[in-house]
Amino acid sequence: MSDNEFTRVASVAEIPRGKTHCITHNDIEILLCHTGEGIFAVDNLCTHAAARMSEGKLKGCRLLCPLHGAAFDVRDGAVLSRPAREPLRHYPVKVEGDDIFIAPEPSAAA
Amino acid sequence: MTARNSPRPGEARAQGPTVADTLHRDSRSVPAPLLEQRYEFLGDEDLPVGRYISRAFFQREIERLWPNAWQWACREEHVPDTGDSYVYDIGPYSVLVARMEDGSVKAFLNVCTHRGTRLIDAEGCTYTQGITCPFHGWSWHLDGSVRNIPGQWDFPHTAGDSHRLAQVRCERWGGFIFINLNPEAQPLQHYLGVMTEHFEQFPLERRRIRAHVQKILPANWKTAQEAFMEAYHNFETHDSPHGANTQYDIFSDYVSRFIHNIGNYSTAALSDYPGDKWRKPPMTEREILAGLSMEDCALGAGETARQVAAQVLREQFREQLGVDLEHCSDSLMLDSIEYHLFPNMFFFPGIMIPMAYRFRPNGDDIDSCIFDVLVLEPLPDGAEHPEPPDPTQLGIEQSYTDAPELGWLAPVYDEDTGNLDLLTRGLKTSRKGITLGNYQARIRRVHLTLDRFMAQGKPFR
Repeated sequence: MSDNEFTRVASVAEIPRGKTHCITHNDIEILLCHTGEGIFAVDNLCTHAAARMSEGKLKGCRLLCPLHGAAFDVRDGAVLSRPAREPLRHYPVKVEGDDIFIAPEPSAAA
Repeated sequence: MTARNSPRPGEARAQGPTVADTLHRDSRSVPAPLLEQRYEFLGDEDLPVGRYISRAFFQREIERLWPNAWQWACREEHVPDTGDSYVYDIGPYSVLVARMEDGSVKAFLNVCTHRGTRLIDAEGCTYTQGITCPFHGWSWHLDGSVRNIPGQWDFPHTAGDSHRLAQVRCERWGGFIFINLNPEAQPLQHYLGVMTEHFEQFPLERRRIRAHVQKILPANWKTAQEAFMEAYHNFETHDSPHGANTQYDIFSDYVSRFIHNIGNYSTAALSDYPGDKWRKPPMTEREILAGLSMEDCALGAGETARQVAAQVLREQFREQLGVDLEHCSDSLMLDSIEYHLFPNMFFFPGIMIPMAYRFRPNGDDIDSCIFDVLVLEPLPDGAEHPEPPDPTQLGIEQSYTDAPELGWLAPVYDEDTGNLDLLTRGLKTSRKGITLGNYQARIRRVHLTLDRFMAQGKPFR
């Protein structure tokens, strides 16, 4: 994939550190997560029961589902806590100045 | 034997200046709690090794101790906003602590009242707008009341409050949130006793968690915590002269303390220790400063290493954190001041040595435990608590140096915990019990109180 396939989806100023911001990209809800380690992008629907992760909470790099308490690592989408078993898909992110870009396709599963 | 060394058991003390003598020479006025001395002789019989290695004893602790003991589950800053929650596990039991809309905190058994499913899987911070069971989807409001029972038509017998989440006693002190599984437990204050008054001068709620490290240790939870209850091991374990003249206090059945001075030591207190190290010749004040990694600091005529080190730290804290410690005593700046709260918690009011500890069983394993270290840094006046770090989790084989956030403490903890495996294995081949020094009575105090819980504690169910 070439760099020019990345799409600008939000500005850094819209997402204070520690907060999340949901966007729709190619008809898919994607959650941008601004952590101390940078900005990461994951699917917005929990892989367990499809709750919206945007209604949950970001703590450090852990994203917490509001429905059953599943936890994911936003850096790679990995499951940190049941009841989820499948990771969240995560997307390559580029930040240039105040602009946040994401790739059209998720990263390959770890 | 000097005049101070009376033959009555428990009255003998190390030779040389006492902690009180040292504190009186410090450069600032000393907070009254640090000048208190409260020793009590509690006996000198060996403690049976079965207390550490017997499955039956461990099981009785699970049934009688842990369901009746107040324990800190988390800090206030782990649950700052409505819906923020924290899962705390102790042995087989699990508790969910949650922040309510009115800012209060409630705690519940982390279990579905329908079929008994654990509700939130992982220990630690979580978040919920209402709790939903992953099995059949029963759900509760944040306050524990039932929100929805899918297929309610088949459960006419669940009306009213019959299936609320089971509430757990929950109280707050010093920025910590405590829980007690016994609904009829005495209030936390009953156990804190003198700590309430003492810590008014050392407000732990005005600390932030700079580091949180959670390590599995290869020892029974008591074996492990007892490695931290005396400073007698400092000479051999840490190759350090500090600690031989430590002061030990027994404040109540639940609270004890030690104070051991950093930045000076007594050669007389080491008079019968092997070799001449630190005695012939004694360390100079400059060498002591170097031992505190302050070799580049100026030492004026007549100044002690202790005074200089305390002042260096005050300036560091002002510059780096914006914290004013100008009136903070040398002792509070430097010393290892360690309060123990029954059964398994330690609180250090000091500035250079500013931790809280918790030791608890690792599931149902007698021979390992979970040791939480919180490094609690002072918060500047008016500053809000930042988001606390996730705990760094270390396995049995890992070194504390794998948690670089611990800084100089990491190699010290490696030394402190380096003997535990030998202890665990050794206790199993010991025919006699363990012997305690009379003055180091804190360990015995815990066991005496533990006996009472084991005899009188209300079983969990």
